Amino acid sequence: MAMHERLSFYAKRDSILHRLNPLTKLTLVFGFVLISFFAPFYWTPHLLILSGVIPLSFTGKVAREYFNASLRLILPAAGFLFIMQALFQPLEGEELFRIGFLHPTKESVMFAFANAMRIFLMVSSFTLFLLTTHPSELMSDLTRRGLPGQFAYVIISTIQILPQMQAKAQTIISAQRSRGLDTQSSFLKRAGSLIPLVGPLVFGSLVEVEERAIAIEARGFTSTKTKTSLHEIPDTNSDKMIRWILAALVLISLALRLWLS
Amino acid sequence: MLNNIKKDFNTMTWVLIPVAIAINIAIGQIVVTLKLPVFLDSVGTVLVGVLCGPWAGALTGALSNTIWGIAIDPNALPWWPVAFFIGLVSGFMAKGGWFKSWWKVVVTGFVVALTAAAASTPIAVYLFGGITASGSSFITAYLMQTGLGVFQAVFSTSFLVEPVDKITTAMLAFAIVQGLSRRFIARFPRPENVEDEGGANQTQLYIAIGVVVLLVLFAAFMLRNILGG
Repeated sequence: MAMHERLSFYAKRDSILHRLNPLTKLTLVFGFVLISFFAPFYWTPHLLILSGVIPLSFTGKVAREYFNASLRLILPAAGFLFIMQALFQPLEGEELFRIGFLHPTKESVMFAFANAMRIFLMVSSFTLFLLTTHPSELMSDLTRRGLPGQFAYVIISTIQILPQMQAKAQTIISAQRSRGLDTQSSFLKRAGSLIPLVGPLVFGSLVEVEERAIAIEARGFTSTKTKTSLHEIPDTNSDKMIRWILAALVLISLALRLWLS
Repeated sequence: MLNNIKKDFNTMTWVLIPVAIAINIAIGQIVVTLKLPVFLDSVGTVLVGVLCGPWAGALTGALSNTIWGIAIDPNALPWWPVAFFIGLVSGFMAKGGWFKSWWKVVVTGFVVALTAAAASTPIAVYLFGGITASGSSFITAYLMQTGLGVFQAVFSTSFLVEPVDKITTAMLAFAIVQGLSRRFIARFPRPENVEDEGGANQTQLYIAIGVVVLLVLFAAFMLRNILGG
């Protein structure tokens, strides 16, 4: 059950990957994903995982956490997608076997494999990014580059509120159960118990909205003056170089796709 | 136009958005605990759309799916445009006065469902080739085997699944709005969207619930026809 998991993936280590500028790492993630979609070669996503994301997880000293998250979160989803697509995608080609109306072809299995790997790459490179970047570091870097402070507030505050909310939901479920609320029997009873569970949760959390608004208003939330930051985030020349190289690679793969198709 | 949008984003809006995202996710998980056959993962998005305007709702939806995808279930990530349009459309419907009584809320829910079906179809087709990791893909797969095109199969599936979910979502959001005090609602940018119209509330509520039950029966009937035929 995902309810009790901690929300921040961040693993505090000292590595090259941790020291990179957050924007560089974000570019890396989007670069990988875009290349895997644009490049016209079948094995691009597979190669990017094997020679990109996995070695980087060792460089970042987070390999253990990375494999843990991949096996637990990503592999089931990608695997399910693979099975569904391999069985149900009606692509013409060499038939492998036939059960009832299902007749997966070699083409549909290949297609499903590439697609599942693309999703795996997308999510696992994002996981790697979250493992090596503290959310508030990312936000203060992006704010310095011109992202409105309100956006940073929304993201950081959601990350803080969400675990509290999930804990509250658990408490409400247990409390209502102990009062005899039916959460397990017939469909109608379960549908009926939605209101006593959702009501306290939603109203309880909406009450805090006004207080919080007054609190951040008092701290100059809507002020348009440039704010200074206590914590400086370095952005070196090699950071800039990595970002340009990735942008170039994305453009090259897009050009190759347009040129070859 | 841009100034009007800016007016929708006051401090209350910015504070409500994270709470609404958390509400989306928490209700989504309660529904999983209760094993109900709906998602109900956009109650907060609709709430923001109604109280703070379409663009605030759209932002809530998009961020909600992004954060959900990053933090809990990676499968939610590619669907952020769908959530974006759910917030946008519910905001515009509320602006047009379609969020003031139970029957109007049912209409809003239905329009939101159509939007969601239309917005999710291209994503399902182009990103996943029609078959996604969601359970309703069994229906899509079957429809595709019967010779229907990918687009039609995906859209028919969403059309069968979405209305029940989105109408329930809209009704839940309306129930929440009705439970809030007027003083509290007045602090948001668009309190006029939910001004009480009066009228026979109780009867309308029963009719609205009746509509949802009929839709469930219709979907079940269609499914039996499709899968049993």
